[in-house]
Amino acid sequence: MSARTPRTVPATGTRQVHCTINGAAVAFAAAPFRTLLDALRLELGLTGTKKGCDVGDCGACTVLVDGEPLNACLMLAVEAEGRRIETVEGLAGPAGELHPLQREFLRCGAAQCGFCTPGMLMMSKALLASQPAPSEAEIRFGLAGNICRCTGYTKIVEAVAAAAASLSASPGEDRQ
Amino acid sequence: MSPELPGSRSGGALDIVGTSVRRSDVVEKVTGSARYAADLRLPGMLFARMKRSTVAHAFIRRIDTRRALALPGVKAVLTHEDVPRVLHYGSPMPRAASCTRDQYILDRKVRYWGEGVAAVAAVSEEVAEEALALIEVEYDELPVMTTTEAAEAAGAALIHGDRAEALQGNLVVAPVRFERGDIERGFAEAELVVEGEYEGGRPTPAYMEPNACLCHWDEHGRLTVHISTQTAFMVRGAMAEVLGLPLNRVRVLCEHFGGGFGAKQDLFQSEFLCALLARRARRPVMMEWTRKETFLAGRSRHPVKIRLRQGFRRDGTITARQASLVYNSGAYGSHGPGVTAVGTSSLTSLYRCDNVLLEGRCVYTNSPIAGAYRGYGVVQAYYALDIQLDEAARQLGMDPAALKLKNAVREGDLAPSGHAIVGHGLEDCILRGRQEVGWTGTKPPPTRPPEGPLRFGWGMGCEMHGSSAYPGIKEQGNALVKVHEDASATLYTGTAGLGTGAHTALAQIVAEELGLAFEAVNVVHGDTDVVPWDIGAFASHTTYMGGMAAKLAAAEARRQLLERAASRLQVLPAGLEIRGGIVRVAGTDRTISARDAMWPGHGLPSPHIVAHGTYTPTKSYSFAAHFVEVQVDTETGQVEVLQVVPVHEVGRVVHPIAAQGQVEGGVQQGIGHTLTENHEIDPVSGRSLNASFVDYKMPLAMDMPPIRTLLLETAPDPGGPWGAKGIGEDPIIAIGPAIANAIFDAVGVRFRHYPITPEQVLRALRMQREQVRDA
Repeated sequence: MSARTPRTVPATGTRQVHCTINGAAVAFAAAPFRTLLDALRLELGLTGTKKGCDVGDCGACTVLVDGEPLNACLMLAVEAEGRRIETVEGLAGPAGELHPLQREFLRCGAAQCGFCTPGMLMMSKALLASQPAPSEAEIRFGLAGNICRCTGYTKIVEAVAAAAASLSASPGEDRQ
Repeated sequence: MSPELPGSRSGGALDIVGTSVRRSDVVEKVTGSARYAADLRLPGMLFARMKRSTVAHAFIRRIDTRRALALPGVKAVLTHEDVPRVLHYGSPMPRAASCTRDQYILDRKVRYWGEGVAAVAAVSEEVAEEALALIEVEYDELPVMTTTEAAEAAGAALIHGDRAEALQGNLVVAPVRFERGDIERGFAEAELVVEGEYEGGRPTPAYMEPNACLCHWDEHGRLTVHISTQTAFMVRGAMAEVLGLPLNRVRVLCEHFGGGFGAKQDLFQSEFLCALLARRARRPVMMEWTRKETFLAGRSRHPVKIRLRQGFRRDGTITARQASLVYNSGAYGSHGPGVTAVGTSSLTSLYRCDNVLLEGRCVYTNSPIAGAYRGYGVVQAYYALDIQLDEAARQLGMDPAALKLKNAVREGDLAPSGHAIVGHGLEDCILRGRQEVGWTGTKPPPTRPPEGPLRFGWGMGCEMHGSSAYPGIKEQGNALVKVHEDASATLYTGTAGLGTGAHTALAQIVAEELGLAFEAVNVVHGDTDVVPWDIGAFASHTTYMGGMAAKLAAAEARRQLLERAASRLQVLPAGLEIRGGIVRVAGTDRTISARDAMWPGHGLPSPHIVAHGTYTPTKSYSFAAHFVEVQVDTETGQVEVLQVVPVHEVGRVVHPIAAQGQVEGGVQQGIGHTLTENHEIDPVSGRSLNASFVDYKMPLAMDMPPIRTLLLETAPDPGGPWGAKGIGEDPIIAIGPAIANAIFDAVGVRFRHYPITPEQVLRALRMQREQVRDA
């Protein structure tokens, strides 16, 4: 009944992983089968990244790895070695000032239950990095791997478009 | 009629209610700091998993856990032999007629594929999963019946053979019957009779947050449960009853919540097992479901079969309406009795008819449990009713919208609950929507001609839905408002925050009533040890009922605040008004700030004010008409919704953006249910065929059309704060028939079921061509 094949857990079978997470150098121990998602949530206390399906279907666990959006449930923690990981916890500025995407999600009503929101935000960040002025169709296509069940996507699309406009007006706001 | 206190702020201009203030729960959601149940960690916490049946109907002959218990890292294992055998309501409405008492924590019989048969707590999820594989279960299999026809066949095996109530066969509850007028006379007066069979599939809520709970016990035998639930006090009651604890030894918390849409009112075996594992292992235990488990063991909408027959006069008057509805409850009753009563009785209304005869049944089958899901039995019934009105209009040579307008329920007509309807909300929605889309004749003028294989069509559908579950359940909302000594205020509410923005709406209502700035009010919720009792968040009643309780508490707090201000100003309280935190002697420029009025040290008995509000609502109805344009690809069978104009009459809009959000999300789920979503169960084995987000297709961002929501405030209900009524469930109801009617308009093929898949569209188009050729 489980999504994963049962396996015996070796008592000493962990590897040391070194990477940067939200700009800070991090070292942690991870079993070889542990996903990056579980490592973030269980070993590193970064529970902002959500587990909606654990098999790569819903996008709730989207993080950026060297700037590329990936489902953290489909990547092993040991694969993070030497990589640059960004999660929703790193989106706001050092003094807590909200990223334009966060501001617009808040203003437009793009978050309801909020469970898909961290993944949506990270996917949107990647989208705007590659397409700074996306059309509505491009936003919808860009977010097609992230399921939301509350909003009908209307206000999410609106928020991403507004954030794109705000970022192109003052590009310095996206520091990372 | 109005429960508002004398002197409360009613009528006149409102400062805060009706504006899209910044929501109180979203900053933490965009920064990732919002804690959901599965985000919590406690020292020594174990991880639990459930072993689920691999057959759909069987007695457990033998279950052996010895190898699992011997696995290093396993701390506790439970089977039906280890847990209290207490029959309980899977849906924890306390002894309500809307629910059935037919579940054990674990039973020696399994009734659906994927039912829990054992649970394990271990040091990690991986060890727990490995232990599950080591539990040996042998079954004595019984015949599997996944359809209501099979379960109602003569001689069918009984799924709940040991139930105390004497019910025939596999019925969940005694059939319901609603009768009015004289059905035979009604059909005798008819000049046209339209009859059809309508069928609804098994859409599932597919909330994004899989069920999760974390249980721990303290040294005094007190149980704390962090859980993703809509009904914390109901969970507390059910846990206490089944585990034999007084209520003050169970504390249920739910701070943030990742969607439920009705389904997370129930208990799912796992909460009890989590608590019992924690007790046995003497450590905190986290039980988090996989996505697959949410399909197998969550709650779906009831699959349904409806026979509907109506008589019409040539002028469109409906003379008779007869229907039988059979709801498939799956393996347990859950909300089946309530859904059957609410769904069946909904056909007494929406479109006027004096002669009505309706019968509804709810039947156990060996399939996943159906339960409460946004629209609660009404989605299915109005799908049939509204499509049949469209069929009748075509046969009468009338505009479907005009036929619906002619028959729309009006002020004073009886609603399904037996209440007189307030206002002309449904007519207003139809008229405003027609105007918005330019509907003249039988639809809006075509914006595009047929193009290659593409055909275009318009359709509309209507609905009405009650706020609160009255008369099925007598509900109650409670609120406490504290005004602190600096004139900031806190609302304590038992209402759950489902992500709808309800707590923001409640804070708006309190600020408005108290005459304080919105920012001066915060909300405390989600802890049964702290907040006053509340029945939970469901039945589109949070703003209506919880909002009114909050308004009543705030009105009492305001009265006390003005008394203090009056004594400071040496005037009578009756002559005072308060707005934006400033108290003024009406008609003068004599003022005192609420803060100065509150400040202690003036011989006052207490530095802060505490006021309680309690509200037991009856019922109000909201209305909607949805107008939809579709595109049908006659080569692929693909149906695409091009635009939706939902028009909703809600009495009073408290937070426009949040209200629009409810409509947009409901439309999304409704489009999914109508075109793509169906949890499919193999009729032979009872096995789930598509329990994943890859195989269960929901609308994605690129599938969703533009939605132009119109919110009307033309029929305010005196039972809600400043007339506000519910909006949570309504948006999912009218969209389905609107799409089916639009498909007919586009290609002339009538569908009377959902989901309407491309294969079925293609097959129907082929049959249509063959019929034309043969003719």
